[in-house]
Formats: sequence, structure tokens, C-alpha cells
Amino acid sequence: MSALPARTIGAMEVRAPHPPVPTAPAQGPAGPSVLDAIRQGHAHTAAVHESLRSEQAVIEAREFSLWYGKRRALYAISMIVARGKVTALIGPSGCGKSTLLRSINRLNDLVEGVRIEGSIVLHGVPVYAPGVDVIGLRKRTGMVFQKPNPFPMSIRENVIYALRINGERRRAVLDEACENSLRAVALWDEVKDRLRHSALGMSGGQQQRLCIARAIVAEPEVLLLDEPCSALDPVATLRIEELIRELSQRYTILIVTHNMQQAARVSDYTAFMYLGRLVEYGSTADVYQNPRLRETEQYVTGRFG
Amino acid sequence: MTTAVQSSPRTFGRGDAVLGLAARGSALCILGMLAALALVLLAAALPSIRTFGVGFLLSTDWRPNEIVGAGLDAAGNEVEVVSPPSFGGLAVIYGTVVSSALALVVAVPLSLGAALFLVRVAPRLRLAGVLSFLVEFLAAIPSIAFGIWGLFVLAPFLQHVVEPGLKSLLGDVPGLGWLFTGTLNIAGEVVTRPIPLTGRDMLCGGLILAIMVLPIITAVSRDVLRAVPRMQIEGTLALGATWWQSCAAMLRYGRAGLFGAIMLGLARAAGETMAVTMVIGNNNQIEPSPFAPAQTMSSLLANEFAEASDGLHRAALLEVALILLVMSLAINILARSLIVGGGPRAAAAH
Amino acid sequence: MPLVRKNPWKTLQSRVMFAACAACTVLIIGVLGLVTVYLFSIGFGATSWEFFAADPTGNALDPGGMRNAVVGTLILIGLASLIGIPLGLLAGVYLSEYGTERLLPGPVRFVTDVLAGVPSIVVGILGYELLVVPLGNYSGWAGAGALAFIMVPIVARTSEEMFRLVPDSYRQASAALGATRSQTILRVVAPAAAGTVVTGIMLAIARIAGETAPLLFTALGSRFLTTNPSEPFPSLTVQVYTYATGPYPAQRELAWAGILVLISIIFVVNVSIRLVTLRVRRSPA
Repeated sequence: MSALPARTIGAMEVRAPHPPVPTAPAQGPAGPSVLDAIRQGHAHTAAVHESLRSEQAVIEAREFSLWYGKRRALYAISMIVARGKVTALIGPSGCGKSTLLRSINRLNDLVEGVRIEGSIVLHGVPVYAPGVDVIGLRKRTGMVFQKPNPFPMSIRENVIYALRINGERRRAVLDEACENSLRAVALWDEVKDRLRHSALGMSGGQQQRLCIARAIVAEPEVLLLDEPCSALDPVATLRIEELIRELSQRYTILIVTHNMQQAARVSDYTAFMYLGRLVEYGSTADVYQNPRLRETEQYVTGRFG
Repeated sequence: MTTAVQSSPRTFGRGDAVLGLAARGSALCILGMLAALALVLLAAALPSIRTFGVGFLLSTDWRPNEIVGAGLDAAGNEVEVVSPPSFGGLAVIYGTVVSSALALVVAVPLSLGAALFLVRVAPRLRLAGVLSFLVEFLAAIPSIAFGIWGLFVLAPFLQHVVEPGLKSLLGDVPGLGWLFTGTLNIAGEVVTRPIPLTGRDMLCGGLILAIMVLPIITAVSRDVLRAVPRMQIEGTLALGATWWQSCAAMLRYGRAGLFGAIMLGLARAAGETMAVTMVIGNNNQIEPSPFAPAQTMSSLLANEFAEASDGLHRAALLEVALILLVMSLAINILARSLIVGGGPRAAAAH
Repeated sequence: MPLVRKNPWKTLQSRVMFAACAACTVLIIGVLGLVTVYLFSIGFGATSWEFFAADPTGNALDPGGMRNAVVGTLILIGLASLIGIPLGLLAGVYLSEYGTERLLPGPVRFVTDVLAGVPSIVVGILGYELLVVPLGNYSGWAGAGALAFIMVPIVARTSEEMFRLVPDSYRQASAALGATRSQTILRVVAPAAAGTVVTGIMLAIARIAGETAPLLFTALGSRFLTTNPSEPFPSLTVQVYTYATGPYPAQRELAWAGILVLISIIFVVNVSIRLVTLRVRRSPA
């Protein structure tokens, strides 16, 4: 437990990328851990639970790898995201969970020098295929970031931004969409009298709910939440979690979280990642109570990470 | 096989194409501006460059009109000799260099002292905001305003108070006579005579330039010194250094950036036109005394360009402009590389 | 008991240098204050309603006012802004938002800095060669062109810096919502930076308002009130220069007044910049 995963990433890079094949068992209750093997650069086959077989995939990653310049951030990730369910990505910082999330709507394109290998398929469309309409792709996914980032505009303009850039001008349509979105995030009653006020005057929790309202106004198919509560106080966090449960009835949700309890509370499925690899993936109940790997158990019970 | 991620063309709408084109076009336009500047000046200066070559930089001759005088021909007969117009830039290059140097000699110690005060003392006195605003506002005062002040206030003050005082004080000191006598070339004969003290001379030009560069050097030095890490100061104080010793450590730490600040001041002084033109006396000759009128490259341009009808005269002026451009660009580039690229960090690495 | 005993000589040296630094500050503020006080006090005495209401008479003993020059300067600023501001802003957008492109941004940034250091008299000469010679006469257009040349690098660099201050999270949020790059820039980045970009523009305007050298060989100057930029065009600075270097006391008086008006404009612009920056800094970003 002495090795701190997040801090050792830099050191890892120095080591040979292709070390000799290990003789140690990849799994099992005793012996060198899977995490040690990953730290040394060995390949790891994710322990994916049977429960996922019955699910219909909205997103599917196939052997997906990603590099920021020379630094490799993701190692051949293969996983599906189940339709209409909440899937949580957990793992220590630097494990690539946010990178994976941003790969789905190609937000990593904004970073200079990104390369990928493998594919991600959203609703049957390979998102990295040549000629893909990235703008259209992003319109089909809504995203919420770690820190609330409302634009420096009025509350109303924030919510209907996605419609405005689609060229929607009809006032009635915009008003209705604005109200529906704000109702969906339980913000309508709080702000209906000050829709024209700046969004920057709201509290942090309200701002984050506003960002969610902004993300769902154009009816995306998938919601990507990147640690949406990490900048919020416990009360605001609780409200967002309730909101996620409600939204899960209408949207497929993929949430990255640092907080194990949060993943347990809000998600149907949980994927545990480590240093750019998918380690274990299954229903949240299984991953938390009956994990295949000892390391997963240790992580979810907070004994490392 | 890995794929470099690239947004496909379809991710750009028509708006993207238009804005991208406009932004890139403007960027190219900026490159074009410099190219136009260099090419136009070069082309227009070409007749002068062809005629005088390198000699232009070494000659102090500046005669826009031909001189008709008496001379002897090969047979020893007295004839009329016509010497054609002749141009050389040395006198104005000298004027620019000396007036700028004078300005720096006066301004640099004052500016550095004030910058130290602004960084180390003023914040505690809650003066930093006010003083900084003052310095910035003064940097924005147009040069014509300094020119008027110099012409009507500083020059008369020098003429009536400072220079006569200095003359009575130093005039008889052996070895300093050159300060107050100049040479005059009258029809080929060199005459020595006392310099008439007008107050509109190299000294006045240098002083007005010093006043003008004070705000710039102070403001930039203040920023450089402010960027010195606190640890550097606290470290020296913890070792028992006095206030001044820690200041000296700050100056040492930021020396590259400070040099850059001084170079920025120099660039401004060298390119300055209006104020200098109004107070420097506009005499196209090299005189060693600071009490003699002089001419800088920019003041020569301001004075003569509009009246230069003759082709070669104009070309010679453009060659002066070209030299001025190259000189101030070189100083500017040096300054910016020291402030941005080198900065305090590079100095620390030495 | 300190480990290092203080050397009395060093302590004295330190006190002297402290006093010297304080004296430097006082001296600088004093000298510059002196300049300003002179400009203001003499200028006030020379300013009258006639200054703004009358045009030059041509009579050196009773020179009239400088209405034509005030109007001329305002028109020149307007024309120069028409060219200089859009060009500078777009270049700023380029440097900030397209700054990761491979080929251009480095050289463009460098050249922008270089252009900011070109002596203004040289810009005037360029204006003469490019706009006066081909058009056949001195004109307001040429003057405005020279001033725009000076404006572009200032606006470009300040607006680049202001665009960069807009948090990246806005750009990401906008992109994640499916906005194209131009939509993000025009709808999110530009409005967010607008308050501070304005200060850069005002800075550039203050700078060109006081420029004389670029106008000497381009707009030339004129005794008459005119709104036609195809003619030689009057400006406050050139008129002040002509009057100040001329032999007539009445005209010199007017020159002082002209400088006062000019500095007042620049002072107001500077104070507004200060206020805008303070307000922007206070509002939550």
C-alpha cells in the first residue's frame, strides 16, 4: 500500500514499455497484485461481469487507446455503457476516467497532439471514423464538468445556448425549452423570477444544476458527468445525486466520480480503472459487495487510492 | 496503427470558414505590414544606397544643395567649381546615440530607485495603486506635450540659469574649454568660437528624452522586480542582510529583465521624434559639447522630409529612416527577448 | 543575540540607499508632476470658448480657435479606428484562439511586437510613400491609414491577452454543447472578454490621439474646417506643433490650450480604463 498510484505515474513512464512477460498469476487472492503488474506496464484483461451481457449498449469502446503526445493515457479499453442505466467510472486520479469520458464526445480534440487507436461507437456510429460530424456528435451528448462553468450570461441564455447555436429563434420554443429544462433539474421555482439575471450570481450547487439543465435542453441521448459534485458542498451534492437518479429514467448516464459512496449511491454499473486500464467492471452491487479482484475490493472499501 | 485526431472538415460550418479566414487574413495582414514597411523604405532609399554605399554611414556631410565656389582647374586657372549635393548619416546617428545615451544615464538610476521603492516600500504605505496609476498616465502623455514643455520651460531654464552657471563655474577650468567652444566651417575655413547658449541643444534633448523614458523604465522594472520570488528576498533577510543588501539581491536576480526594461526605454528614446525636434536645436553637425545644438535621425526626418523635393535628398532621408527602423527594431527585439523569454528565471540559472 | 552581527557601515549604507530610492521616487513624480502642472495651468489660462467655437483666422495676431483641429482629430481617430480596430481584434482572436496552429502564430506574435516598436515618424514616412505619392496629394485618408498602422499592433496584443484571460472551461462547455469554433468565439469568448478588450481599444485611441509625427507627411494639416478626407486634413497635434514652433505669441498660447485639451482627453480615457479594469476584476469571473 506504500506506493501512491497517482504520484508514481511519472516514474512509470521511464520504465521500459515492454517488460518481460510475467510469470506471476494475473489474479487471485494472494501473490503480487494486479495493480503492481499494471504499474510495471503489463497488459491486463479486465474482469467484466456477466451481468453486462444482457444489456443493450449505447456506447461501446473497442480496444480504445489514447495518447497525449508521447504520454499514453488509455490502454485498449473495451467496455459498453448500458442503455438507460447509470454507469460510474471510478479509480484514483490519473487513471484515465475523465479522459475516457472526454473521448466519447471527442472533447479531447481540443487538446494538441492527441492520438487514438481502436474505436468508440455511439449508437452504432464510430465516433472517430473519418468524416464524422463532430459537432453533431457533441449535440447528441450532454456534458457536465467538475467545476460549474455557466457562461457569463443570463440564466435563460445559459439554458437555451444549445438551441441558440442550432439557430432556434422562436421565442415560444425557447421559453418552453428553458422552463422544461429548469424544471427537470428542480431549479425552476428557485430562479423563475430572475431568468434575466446573470448566472454567475447563483450558488455553486445552483450553478451546477444550471449546467445540467444546459446540457439536457437539446435532448441528448447520453449525459456525460465529469465529477459533477467535486466542487460542491454536501447538501448540494445530495441534490445533484437525487437529480441523477431522476434523470436516469430518461437518459443514459456515464458519471466519473472520485467518491466511492457516490458511485454506490447513484450508479447501476461501476467500472474500476487504474493507470489507464479497465480493471473490473460489473453491476454496482457486485463490484462493491462481491468483486472478482481483491484490489477492487480494497479500492472500493477505501483501503487504497 | 494509431490515428492522429483531426476534426473532419464537416465540423466546420460556414461561420467557421468565414471567421477563420478573417482571423488568418488579419494575421497575414500584420506580416504584410512589416513586409511593406521594410520593402517600401528599402526601395525608396535605393538611389541613396547606390550612390553613397557604406560611406553614408561614415560621412557627416549633409548638403541638400550644390555649392558653387572658387577653385583651380588642372591648368592652375581659377574656375567655378560645383560640388554636387552630398549626404551622410553619421551626424544624425551620432545625435541619436548620444542623446539616447544621455537620457539613459539620467533616467536609469532614477527609475531603478523608484522601481525598488514601488515594490518594496510603497505597498506598505498603500501608495502603490496611486503611484502606479500616475506612472502609467505619465507614460501616456503624448510627446508633443513634452516638446512644448521642453521648448517653453526647460530650454529657457537651461539657457538662462543652468548653462551660464556652469559656464562661469567650469568655463575657465583647463581641459574643459571644449564644453563651451565650437568650431564653425565658414566657406572652407574652420573658425573656433564660443557656443551661443540657446538652451536648445543636445543637453536639452537628452533631458527631455530622460523625462519621457522615466515612466516606461520605471513601470517595466517594477513588474520585473515584482516577479522576483518572495523566497529570494526572505532568504537574504533571514541571513541578516540589510534592506539594501536584499534590494541588491533583487536587482541581481532580475538583472536580465531590468536590462530589457532599459532597452525598452532606449528604443523609445531612439525613435522619439516630436519632443526632440522641438528642443535639440536641429544642427546637422557633430559637436562634442552637450551645449551645442544637434540633430537626431528622427528630428532630421521631421524637419526635412516635407521639403525634400530633390530625388537624392529624399532617398537619403529614407535611408536615414531605414537605419532608424532597423536600429529601433533591433533594440526592441533584444528588450522583449530579455523581458519575456529570459526574465528573472534565466538570470537565476546563471 | 543574532548569529550575524550587523556591520554598522553596511547599516549606514542601507539607510542611505533607502533614502536615495525614496528620493528617486519623489524626484520622478516631482518632475513629471511639474510638467503636468505647467501644461494644465498655462493651458487653462489659454483655453476659452473661442478655442472650440472658432476656426483659425490666418491672422497671426488674432489666431481664432482650433475648432477645425478638434473636429479633424476626432474624424481621424474615427477613420483610423474603422480600419485598425477590426484588423487588430481579428488578429487578437487569431493569436488567442488559433494560437495552436503550426505555422503562423509564432511569427505573427513576433511581428506584432516588432510593429509596436516602429518609431512613429517612420510610420508617417511609410504613409507618405504608400498613400500620399500614389494618391497625388496629402489627405485625411493617408493620415488615418498611418494612425491605423499604429493602432493594429496595440489592439492585437491587448485583445489577445484579454481573450486568453477567458477561462478555458467556457470554451469546453460550449464545444461540449456542439458549438462550432466560430460560435464559441463569437457567442461566448468575445462577450466574456468584451469589457477588458474595450480597455485595449481605448489605450490605442489614447495613443493615436496624441500622435504627431505620423501625420506630418500624411494628413499634413489644414487651416480650414473640413470633413472631406481626400483633402489635407487638420489635426490637433500638428496644429499645436506648427503654432508652438512658430514665432507668434498668440499662436503659442493656443498651442498650450491645444495640449491641455489633448491631455484632458487622454486623462479621461486613462481613468475610464482604470475604472473598467477595477470593475472587471471585482465581478466574479
